[in-house]
Amino acid sequence: MPLAIDSRPAVWFHVDVTVVDPRPRIVVAPDGAPHVAGVRCQACAEPVAYPWPACPECGGPVVAAEFGPEGVVWSATVVRIPVAGRTPPYALAYVDLDDGPRVLAHVVVDGDGDTAPAVGTRVRLRAGAPDPQVEVIG
Amino acid sequence: MSDIAVHGVGTSHFGRAPGTDLVTLAWTAVSEALADAGPGPIDAVWVGTVFAPAGVAQRVLRAMGITRVPVVTVENACASGTTAFAEACEAVRTGRYGRVLALGIEQMSTAFDGAITPEDTDPEGATGLALPALYAMAATRYLHDGAVTPAQLAAVSVKNHAHALHNPRAQYSGRYTVDEVLASRMIADPLTLLQCCPTSDGAGAAVVGPARGGAREVGVRGIALRSGAPWGRRSPHVWGYDIVAETAADALAAAGLHAATDVDVVEVHDAFTIGEIVTTEALGLVAPGEGGKAAETGVTALGGAHPVNPSGGLLSRGHPLGATGLAQLAEIVWQLRGEAGGRQVDGARIGLVETMGGGVSALDGNACVVAVLEAP
Repeated sequence: MPLAIDSRPAVWFHVDVTVVDPRPRIVVAPDGAPHVAGVRCQACAEPVAYPWPACPECGGPVVAAEFGPEGVVWSATVVRIPVAGRTPPYALAYVDLDDGPRVLAHVVVDGDGDTAPAVGTRVRLRAGAPDPQVEVIG
Repeated sequence: MSDIAVHGVGTSHFGRAPGTDLVTLAWTAVSEALADAGPGPIDAVWVGTVFAPAGVAQRVLRAMGITRVPVVTVENACASGTTAFAEACEAVRTGRYGRVLALGIEQMSTAFDGAITPEDTDPEGATGLALPALYAMAATRYLHDGAVTPAQLAAVSVKNHAHALHNPRAQYSGRYTVDEVLASRMIADPLTLLQCCPTSDGAGAAVVGPARGGAREVGVRGIALRSGAPWGRRSPHVWGYDIVAETAADALAAAGLHAATDVDVVEVHDAFTIGEIVTTEALGLVAPGEGGKAAETGVTALGGAHPVNPSGGLLSRGHPLGATGLAQLAEIVWQLRGEAGGRQVDGARIGLVETMGGGVSALDGNACVVAVLEAP
């Protein structure tokens, strides 16, 4: 039985808000497909990649929602400088999940990670890594 | 025309100064600003900084005899200094205080080895998105959309490094070619080293008070401060465009101007080359998709129709985060007084400062400040 603290939207009790890791959480659905577990606004339908208590666009109430597994690259880059805890080079992309939010993800590529996917490339989420990850498809 | 005026400005030199105490850098800026403003009390102080240690403002001010007054430290990412200035202006405008000091200070050289990454508690920071990579995303998208070319990106760096040849306070300056900029080390595709601002230490200060019609007072004709809206697929623009456009519209309306093209000289937030291009478009200084061409053809150079970043900008003057906004403000004050030496924009009457700070995921910037200033 969840503890009723106040009158915040019911989403507080539907998603796990105790996780400290701020990255979008990728969960595997019963059919095996990976999804980003977030919320969707009940007022304006804004998709949100995080378990936030209200809609960032309009402040409306939200319900738990899952997004993906596929999307399209909005933009991408290869990071070639040292960043704490990481080994350059590595490719990052902003991915617009189909009917979902824009999420930042590492792009899993063959070889040394030296290649960023072109804008518009179709990608698919991958589960099992701490970072949000996508791979290029089709 | 303006009720509020900048009575005096000052800055430190900008550069890497890991052996210099941040407090000492701040004294340089405050001393110059107080001397520039002339005798008078300081009734309150607003301080902008991002990474400075707790209590730094009082440590700076006690040594200058500025005690017993309200001191408020604010953090708004790269717009921290201009946020302090905006709040100082508002305090004067409402009559809360008579004469207010705005101070921006930052020592990056002791805080970072290389590029800044957003907070680890933020999704983008935890995912390894260094700040250059965030701007690189905008550059990649602009290239894909045919809104800029690699040579046009590089032209911003060439221009701003050349402008800084005339700025003795700048961290870097030089005569580079587009090819040299493009051939410098790749940081985050497509942005090369010379398209990224350096790691900088520095301070800037301004004394703000009621307009009295003084011969060296620069009027604050309009100023606006906003935080970013959610940024994602609803926006047709790259990251950082909408917040600048909306804040600029507020500031221009407050100043009674129809368009940014009514402004004679601007200092904008060019932390990366693509930043200046996106910002000149968002301000309405040039048409959408024309920012790169404007840099390439000299429209935004000294002597061009719309000079941008005569100081050398963040790319070349340097970018000590909390100090940047007040460094930009000082440059525009000098320009409007006709004191900018070899980088003077002839006959500049109206100037504009724009600073945009970001790093919080899913937002189109943490804060943006746009100020419109007018000559004495």
